[in-house]
Amino acid sequence: MLTITELSVNYGAVQALSSVSMEVPKGEVTAVIGANGAGKSTLMRTLSGLVKPGSGGATVGGVTITGRKPEDIVRLGVSLVPEGRSTIPELTVEENLRLGGLWRDKAGRNSTHAQVFDLFPVLAQRRKMRADTLSGGERQQLAIGRALMSDPRVLLLDEPSLGLAPLIVTQILELVSRLASESDLAVLLVEQNAVTALRVATTGVVLNLGKVVMVGSGAEIASDEKLRHAYLGY
Amino acid sequence: MTTFIDYLLGGLGSGAIIALMALALVLIWRSTRVVNFAQVGQAMFTTFIALSIQTWTGSWYIALIGALAAGAVLGVIVQYLVLRPVKRNDTSGAIIATFGVLIALQAAAGMIWPGGSQAFPQPFNNSGIEFAGRVWPISIYDFVVIGITALLVLGLTLLFTKTSLGLSMRAAAFNPEVARLSGVRVSRVLTFGWALAGSVGAVAGVLVAPVSTISPNSFDILLVFAFTAAVIGGLDSLIGAISIGVFAGLVISLVSGYSDSGNAPVVALLLLALNLILKPEGIFSHHKARSV
Repeated sequence: MLTITELSVNYGAVQALSSVSMEVPKGEVTAVIGANGAGKSTLMRTLSGLVKPGSGGATVGGVTITGRKPEDIVRLGVSLVPEGRSTIPELTVEENLRLGGLWRDKAGRNSTHAQVFDLFPVLAQRRKMRADTLSGGERQQLAIGRALMSDPRVLLLDEPSLGLAPLIVTQILELVSRLASESDLAVLLVEQNAVTALRVATTGVVLNLGKVVMVGSGAEIASDEKLRHAYLGY
Repeated sequence: MTTFIDYLLGGLGSGAIIALMALALVLIWRSTRVVNFAQVGQAMFTTFIALSIQTWTGSWYIALIGALAAGAVLGVIVQYLVLRPVKRNDTSGAIIATFGVLIALQAAAGMIWPGGSQAFPQPFNNSGIEFAGRVWPISIYDFVVIGITALLVLGLTLLFTKTSLGLSMRAAAFNPEVARLSGVRVSRVLTFGWALAGSVGAVAGVLVAPVSTISPNSFDILLVFAFTAAVIGGLDSLIGAISIGVFAGLVISLVSGYSDSGNAPVVALLLLALNLILKPEGIFSHHKARSV
């Protein structure tokens, strides 16, 4: 679904990504893992249009997305849940969700809205409350819900585990992986927490200093002791 | 006591006008973190346009609508010509640029409409209403001013809370990155915000002109009061701008009544200073002020 071809990104003289290629198929979760500074967030920000690529690019269903504006890329079916506080605390839960699908026609918007409430019942209960009254886990559900409101074909998840209790991380990731297989969604998950990510991912990609150093099944990567020591630090 | 109440009533109309101008400042601040000091210059310019329209057509209503449209256009022009070229994230540069726009508009108005202060015709009776055996210090025109202000505030409230465009505007103001990722065309939304603020300021200008005169510098004092009200209200709060704006009108009327109207700006600046010492984030702000 999402094809990344020899993507390079530079920040001034620093090369954040160098010739990264990978395939993110629909119906499964692909995890990109690596230490701090490996280029994971840069990859996500480039795919969603917040950062301009140096060379190379990415396509979704054959359509080039790189080099476009974020507001156009989301219309092409790629939705990012950015790292950290990606909800708007001053808006209510309902408003945060509506925001995610404002550009769509009313019928499509309403049906996705109902699906998101089915998926995250807690959001339906708190629809009138301001987002800053939610717990960390609820806020992450809201962030994912907001991203789903655009009815994406590709969901980009940047460090969803950040600052959350392990149990909640597991719940959210299992839900995402179920969502991927049930609605034929291509999920690209970026995680520093490799163990958790590889548990739900079909394919794992190890990124180090902006380069892909290994691609394999989640289990393969998790069991490769040398790789773990060298790049993942555990 | 009767005098006190009279002074309060006398301040309502001007309070509503200060509230509108403060609202225009807040609309821009919320979305761009820029205080648009050119706002009164834009309002002065569009009021001159309204005066020309009134002279041609003889209709105050057409003049008001003309000012509304001209205010929107001028707001967009100011944003495109001045604010966009000034580097992003350079808010102090942008604020200084708005001063430049103010001076340029005042100079241009002086050339286009020469002859110093001009009177703006009274659209409604502006003498005190007679009721219950006495003349009250509030006129039909004051009620028109308060009514138009209330309508605008109601309209803006509905826009921000009930419409998709309003939600886009709020999202773009609070977090432009998340707004863009959600598909909001943030730069268009910002341009609409400048047009909206321009219109609101233009209405304030047309409403204030009949009770003063109009000249290139005649709204400068309105800037002082509106800026004070906007800052005390918290700069990002629409309710703050409205309530402190009306409050400022009442205070000015009291100060002018009991002492001299020349003291009003001094009192306004004293209140501003006091506010910045005691509650620098403003009374209605959502955000905590950064400690220095």
